[in-house]
Amino acid sequence: MGVDIRGLNVAIGGRPVVRDVNLSVGDGERVGLIGSSGSGKSMIAKSLLGLLPRGAEASGSAALGGTEAIGAAERTLADLRGRYVGVVFQNPGATLNPVATVMRQVELPLRLHYDLGRDERRDRVMSMLRKVGLDESVAGKYPHELSGGQQQRVGIATALITSPRLIVADEPTTALDSIIQRQIVDLLVSLVDDAGASMLFITHDFSVLARATTRCYVIDDGAVAEEGRTARLLAAPNADATRGLVASARRLTLSAEPMAAEPMTVEQGGAR
Amino acid sequence: MANPSKLANLPRALWRRGSGRYALVVLGLWLAVAAVSLFWTPQPLLATDGYHVWEAPSAAHPLGTDGTGADVLSWLMAGSRTNLVIAALTVVCSGALGLLLVGCMVSRRAGLGSVTVAVVDALISIPTVLIALLLTVPFGASVGVIVGACSIAYGLNLARIARPAAMLAARGDYVASALAGGASGWYAFTRHVVPNIVPVLSVQLTVSAGTSVLAEAGLTYLGVGVGAGVPSWGHSLATSVKFINVFPLTVLWPGLVVTLAVVALNLLGDALNSALAVGGMERREDDGR
Repeated sequence: MGVDIRGLNVAIGGRPVVRDVNLSVGDGERVGLIGSSGSGKSMIAKSLLGLLPRGAEASGSAALGGTEAIGAAERTLADLRGRYVGVVFQNPGATLNPVATVMRQVELPLRLHYDLGRDERRDRVMSMLRKVGLDESVAGKYPHELSGGQQQRVGIATALITSPRLIVADEPTTALDSIIQRQIVDLLVSLVDDAGASMLFITHDFSVLARATTRCYVIDDGAVAEEGRTARLLAAPNADATRGLVASARRLTLSAEPMAAEPMTVEQGGAR
Repeated sequence: MANPSKLANLPRALWRRGSGRYALVVLGLWLAVAAVSLFWTPQPLLATDGYHVWEAPSAAHPLGTDGTGADVLSWLMAGSRTNLVIAALTVVCSGALGLLLVGCMVSRRAGLGSVTVAVVDALISIPTVLIALLLTVPFGASVGVIVGACSIAYGLNLARIARPAAMLAARGDYVASALAGGASGWYAFTRHVVPNIVPVLSVQLTVSAGTSVLAEAGLTYLGVGVGAGVPSWGHSLATSVKFINVFPLTVLWPGLVVTLAVVALNLLGDALNSALAVGGMERREDDGR
């Protein structure tokens, strides 16, 4: 399912946070949205999903596979969400309901959108859990009994359980350590590619983006600063914002190797 | 957080606390007496004896007799079921009203939330007694009026107290995640917000149950409570309180029962609060070792 955003503006309390953004994601394409914290990249995704916070006003056009999301009825959007669009969130610990088992969380979109029997729902959840590399025994557990990486795998299973045509991943690796980050990105990419779905991947980290996407948009102060193939932007950044993000990614991954792990740990701690 | 495994261990956790144990024993007795009174009381309720009014306790009348010569113990036993019904209905109705209001307050429709907050803040200033008086005009004094007045007053109170916890839960990422999964606002509220505010709700509702016992006594004394001839603790108090200087024992018994029940419900609220608090059960278990 493609995404087509034209002239999108979002303001919160009269203050513009997204300014005249044009963006598209083709069928089966993995596209990134990169920008520093507060640049407005998450707001773009939220307006697409109709999940903007109270007091936010959006204008322009944001179409999901031909359905206009801006100004659409809540019922129309609720039908799209979960069924055609799956969302993976940033902080897996907070995204899972602390009083519901993994089984109940993962099956929620199935319950809401499909009229399936209990056994069939259970079979689908179990097979999804296996796909994301979790043991079936995890189904009966509560979020606090899982590690951060396991929690994010549950988040991915929840987003993908209905085989949606578009995955919106909003900083899915930010709260995880570097080894788990890589595993989660690789898992997400392989699942999205296997399903032939599209993905909108939001992050502030070019090293993660390079693994997850083929094309990306750099967002700075609510507007698109630069766009192009991820590999090209990483090799030859033009805009100031892109240069800053690429430099910080290089500091973290490429030149950090001879400097041992210490500076890396400090940077990651700050990012959480 | 009200973890379900924690809820399953709740009775044991309550029993381990002194206040919880007292509350469970008194509430157990209350339930048992109310059940027994359905089939048996020491004397029939309508049996009066003009020759033995205001009698001191005796073998025939363990707690003495009232101004009509009726057995005080029998009336208190029968009254326990009226008060139990009032407390239970108040918990259910005020809980339902409170949750409905909280649901509107945390709604994603900005206008609905602010209007509900303003309405609750305005209505909460009306005292329970005034609501009861207003309800008595069309409906007459009855159990329904007490339940109605208590439910409205305590429901508004519950909404105001539970709102911060509900707002916190409603803004939580797991609610955003449920909405992203296609859940409606109401579905997310009932399945994701409410289970996460169970500790606040249970404590507040327990206190409401206790206050409803006091309210019944007060309202019946004022003549807007249970109807004449309906046994209740407030009724027993109201008929004897005029003679407190002459026959103090007849006031002591209903007063004692009301006090025991209200203290038990309030202590249950306290015990629930500490048992449901994060780490509450674990801490007590460690203490026990």
